[in-house]
Amino acid sequence: MSASPVETKKPAKITVKGLRKSFGTNEVLKGIDVEISEGEVVCVIGPSGSGKSTLLRCLNKLEEISAGHVVVDGFDVTDPKVDINEVRRHVGMVFQHFNLFPHMSVAENIMLAPVELKKATKAEAREQALTLLERVGLKEKADARPASLSGGQKQRVAIARALAMNPGIMLFDEATSALDPEMVGEVLQVIRDLAASGMTMVLVTHEMGFAKEIGDRVIFMDGGVVCESGPPAELFGNPQQERTQEFLSKVL
Amino acid sequence: MTESRKTRAPRALLRAVIAGLAGVFVLLGGAGAAMAQPSDSNVEGKNFVIGTDTTFAPFEFRANGELVGIDMDLLQAIAKDQGFSVDIKSLGFSAALAALSSNQVDGVIAGMSITDDRKAIYDFSEPYFESGVQMAIAKTDDSIKGYEDLAGKTVVAKTGSEGETYAKSIAAKYGFTVKSLDQSATMAESVKSGSAVAVFDDYPVLAYGVSQNNGLTTVTEKVPGGSYGFAVNKGQNPALLAAFNDGLAKLKANGEYDKILDKYLADPASAVPSNFWERLGNSIPALMNGLGHTILVTAISFAVAMVLGLLAGFMKLSNNIVVRGISTTFVNIFRGTPLLLWAFLFYFGVPQLTGLPMSIWVAGVLTLSLNSGAYVAEIVRGAIQSVDPGQLEASRSLGLGYGKSMQKVVVPQAFKMMTPSLINQLIIMLKDSSLLLAIGFTELLYQGQQIYAANFRITETLLIVGVIYFVAIMALTKLANYVDRRFNK
Ligand SMILES: Nc1ncnc2c1ncn2[C@@H]1O[C@H](COP(=O)(O)OP(=O)(O)OP(=O)(O)O)[C@@H](O)[C@H]1O
Ligand SMILES: [Mg+2]
Repeated sequence: MSASPVETKKPAKITVKGLRKSFGTNEVLKGIDVEISEGEVVCVIGPSGSGKSTLLRCLNKLEEISAGHVVVDGFDVTDPKVDINEVRRHVGMVFQHFNLFPHMSVAENIMLAPVELKKATKAEAREQALTLLERVGLKEKADARPASLSGGQKQRVAIARALAMNPGIMLFDEATSALDPEMVGEVLQVIRDLAASGMTMVLVTHEMGFAKEIGDRVIFMDGGVVCESGPPAELFGNPQQERTQEFLSKVL
Repeated sequence: MTESRKTRAPRALLRAVIAGLAGVFVLLGGAGAAMAQPSDSNVEGKNFVIGTDTTFAPFEFRANGELVGIDMDLLQAIAKDQGFSVDIKSLGFSAALAALSSNQVDGVIAGMSITDDRKAIYDFSEPYFESGVQMAIAKTDDSIKGYEDLAGKTVVAKTGSEGETYAKSIAAKYGFTVKSLDQSATMAESVKSGSAVAVFDDYPVLAYGVSQNNGLTTVTEKVPGGSYGFAVNKGQNPALLAAFNDGLAKLKANGEYDKILDKYLADPASAVPSNFWERLGNSIPALMNGLGHTILVTAISFAVAMVLGLLAGFMKLSNNIVVRGISTTFVNIFRGTPLLLWAFLFYFGVPQLTGLPMSIWVAGVLTLSLNSGAYVAEIVRGAIQSVDPGQLEASRSLGLGYGKSMQKVVVPQAFKMMTPSLINQLIIMLKDSSLLLAIGFTELLYQGQQIYAANFRITETLLIVGVIYFVAIMALTKLANYVDRRFNK
C-alpha cells in the first residue's frame, strides 16, 4: 500500500521541544524540535552517529533527558512526577537486536507485560498473545523458544510483544538491520500493516525505499540536529540542504 | 560462674532439686559426712563445661568414639565424688585455654603443666600428676643413643609444652634445632618420615604411643619436670577448684587414683582395641557423625551465604554510592581476611567483647557464611552484569518497573549463568568447613584427628577421611548438577 497523505492538524501525539542530550561532555542531541500527530508515520534517517537512536530512546525515556521537553500522549516524560512506567505502556518499542527473553516461550514473551501489570489474567493474556501472533503470522510458534526462530520470526515476535499493551505509539530502531536480506520483507510487511491500521509510528531506518513508501514524513538528522524534514517525495526528490543531498547521494 | 552456665539455668535447677532430694535421703540414712563439707555445697548438682585437648593420649583421646584417658577418668571420678556433672569440650590445647580466657568453658584439664606464666592468668588445682620429659626416636634408627648424637639434626616438640622448653634449653649445648608442632601424632609421624630425628614429649605420652606401636622408642631417662594441674580462670570458680582438690585427695586416699593411672600407664594397650581394622570399625560412627556435622553446617551456612550474597550482589549494582560502598566493604573485608581468623574471632573474641556466650554452631555458620557470602556477592554481581543490557531495556520499555524487570527477566537469566559458580562455591565451603576443627567444631576432619591421635595411624586415617570427603563431594556435585538441569532448562 502507498503512504497516506499528511492529514492536517490532527492532535499532536508526540511533542519534542528543545531536546538536548549529552553523554558526559559529548552532546549528542543539540536541540531537537519535532511534532508528530496521531496516526502519522515518521521515518528518521541520517548518517551513523547522528543521534537517531538517542532521539528515539528519549521518547520513552530509556535515556535520561539533559534538557528540553518531551510530551508523549499528553504526559511530559521530563516531569519527575510522571510515572514513566505508565507512559511506556502507551509506547511500544522494537529493537534492532529483538531482545526477546530467551528463558520464556514466544507466548510468554508476549504475555509478560499484560500479566505482570495485571491488565489480564493468564488465560486472557494467552488468548491475546495468540491473536497477536496470528497477526504477525506466527501462531504456530506460540510455544517455541525464541532461540529456535529465524531472525525475521524473532523480530515479528518482538513486534507482537510490543503490541501486547495496546500502545498508541510504536517506535522502531532499525528493525530490519540485523536481518538477512531474505527476511527483511516479512518484517516490513508487518510494519506496513501496522501503519495501515492507523498506528502512530516513528521509525529509524536505513531502508530508504521503505521510508519513501511508508513515511508520511521523513526527518533527516545530522550531527545531533534535525537538518531537514518533509514529505518523502520532497525530501528524496528535491532535498534543500547540502548535507541532505550529500547523504542521499551516498545511500541512494 | 561462667556465662555459659546461665543458659543452662533450668537444667541446673532441676539438678539442684534432684541433688537436694538425694541429700535428704543420705541424711536420713545417717551417712551425711561427706555432704557436710562446705566446698561441696557450692558445686553439688551443678554442671560445668570443661575444655580439654584433642590429642593428648593417654590423658585424653578417643576410643570407640568416647573421650577417655587419665584426665577424663580422673575428672569423671572427682565429679561423681563431689556430686557435680561435666560437659567435656574437646577443643585442642591452645583453643581450650582461649576458651577458658573467654569464659566459654569453666575449667581446663589437658595434661597442662603448672607454670609461673600460667599461674599469672589461671588458678590451678593441686598437682594431679608428676610428669617429666623424655626423648624418643624412630625404632629403626640406631644412630642416636643420646643427646650428643643430635648435633646438626632437627627435633620436634609440642608447641607450648614442657618438652619444647626442655629441648630448647639444651639445643644450643648439643647443637640441634627444635621445630614445634601441634599434635603428638604428627610429631611421631615427622620422626618416622625422617623430617626430624627425635621427639621431646612428656614421658607418659611417649610411653603410650610406643605401646600403640607408633614406630618410636624412648632412649633417654626422663627428666623430672612439670606437674599437671586443673585450671580455672583467675579468681573465678573457686568452688570448682576446691571441689577438684577435695575429690583428688579422696581418690588418692581410696586407691582409685592409682587404679586410673595404672589403667593407662602400666598396661596401656588394654585401654584401646589393638587391631587396626577393629579400631577403624569402631571409628566409623564417629566419622559419620563428623560427616553429618560437616554437611549440616555447610547446608545452613550456604543458605545464609546465598541470602547475604544476593543482597550484597544487588547492592553492588546500586546507583547509590553509600549502598554500593557498604557492599564493597563487606566483600573486601571477607575476601581479604582468612577464614580461620574469623572462626577464632567469633568463637573466642566475641564472648570476651560482649560477655555473651557464643554457640560453636553460630560461630561456625557466621564464619563460613560471611566468607562465602562475599564470594557469592561477586558471583551474583558478575552474572547480573553479564546479562545483555538489552534485556532490561526491553522489559522496561514494556512498562515493567526496575524490580519486576530484574525479578522476571534479568535474575532468572543470571541464575542460569551463576549456578556452576555457585555449585563450585558450595563445594569450596564444604571443604573449608574442615577449618572449624581449630575451634573444636566436631566435623569430619576433627573426628579423624581424634582417631589418629589415639591410634597413631595418621596416613590410613587421613586416607579414609579423604575418601569420605571425596565421595560426599562427588555426590553433592551430582545432586547439584541434577537440580541445575531440572530448573535451568
Ligand atoms: N550510552 C552511551 N554512552 C556514550 N555515548 C553514547 C551512548 N549512546 C550513544 N552514544 C553516542 O552518541 C552518538 C549518537 O549515537 P546514536 O546511537 O544515537 O547514533 P545513531 O544515529 O543511532 O547511529 P547508528 O546509525 O550507527 O545507529 C554517538 O556518537 C554515540 O557514540
Ligand atoms: Mg542507532
